[in-house]
Amino acid sequence: MTVVPQSAGGGVASRGAGPGGAGSGNLYDILELILDRGLVIDVFVRVSLVGIEILKIDARIVVASVDTYLRFAEACNRLDLESGRKAPAQLTDIVGEVTEGGAKGKSKGALSGAVEAVTDAVRGGRDEEKEPAEKRERPARRPARHREE
Amino acid sequence: MAVYVYSIVAGTHPLDLSGLAGVGADPAALRTVDSGRLTAVVSDAPPGLRAKRRDLAAHQAVQERLMAGGTVLPLRFGLTAPDDDAVRAALTENAEQYAARLSELDGCAEFHLKATEDEESLLRRILAESPEARRLNDEIRGGRAAPDAPVVLGELVSQEVRARQEALAAGITQALRPHARDERSSPPSGDVFLSISFLVARDAEDAFLTAEKGLAAELGDSVDLRLHGPLPAYSFV
Repeated sequence: MTVVPQSAGGGVASRGAGPGGAGSGNLYDILELILDRGLVIDVFVRVSLVGIEILKIDARIVVASVDTYLRFAEACNRLDLESGRKAPAQLTDIVGEVTEGGAKGKSKGALSGAVEAVTDAVRGGRDEEKEPAEKRERPARRPARHREE
Repeated sequence: MAVYVYSIVAGTHPLDLSGLAGVGADPAALRTVDSGRLTAVVSDAPPGLRAKRRDLAAHQAVQERLMAGGTVLPLRFGLTAPDDDAVRAALTENAEQYAARLSELDGCAEFHLKATEDEESLLRRILAESPEARRLNDEIRGGRAAPDAPVVLGELVSQEVRARQEALAAGITQALRPHARDERSSPPSGDVFLSISFLVARDAEDAFLTAEKGLAAELGDSVDLRLHGPLPAYSFV
């Protein structure tokens, strides 16, 4: 039999499950926590940090602009016609389901009614398969070793 | 000499810092400044410190190690004090406040969630469900649209994207909220339509993680939930 070492798992494994503390893949998503949150002591000086300003500007990109509109329009124009045409028939069914689902109240999962409409539409377009576990980034599991105290 | 300050912990914290390096290209050794009731973890501040990946990782690694031994108040990256005495003075002056915060955060960790959605499948659904968007799109493709049609279509689609993602973000937050003591979100940025931190008590962690996993399954693979934690409670100090 062949045993594949965990470390040979390539991109996905090295992003989430690295054993050596804060890997680069983990760090990226929590940059704003390290840079913009955390305790500040007034009398201490913050060193000048080139790069932080760029992050902040990025966070404030205005969505409502003509450039954004044109980008959305182009993206819509580019959508594949055939697979796009299939959607309405499916969605008619889905809308029906959503209406029923809403009336059934709490028979569904944890999501609120407003979101059910969206998520059911998300699910409607394909099989009800679960997302493969290995595809999920689960750095949440990694620091579990911290809990051994 | 200026000192870089990483964290504040209770004076009773075991402070295992072995094998860890501080920030900087040539990292100084980690050490502690003690005021009795509270302890700060510091190192000599390297000259010309910047927010390089290596330095952010070093800052974070100190927090993670300290979390293993107790509760930690993580400082924001990049804070320096003139000398050890200034650190000690700050600990003494704010002792009540820091001790109270440490006590409130005891047994809790931060979980940070970022959600993105596949744009193509979202646009596809919008076109499928909005006759007006579909009409405009068809007209533009057919070359018979008014000159302003792309802007009109784009604005319509943009509003739809926003409304749908706001509803989705609210739903995700509502589903996880019952398992958290506190929450703090940031505005959407780029393709991240939800960026939120939850403060989760250790005894609620399993329920929180199970709920998040259930959400991920329910949302399918056009929505990507990236969960990070347990983290030091940066957002709740």
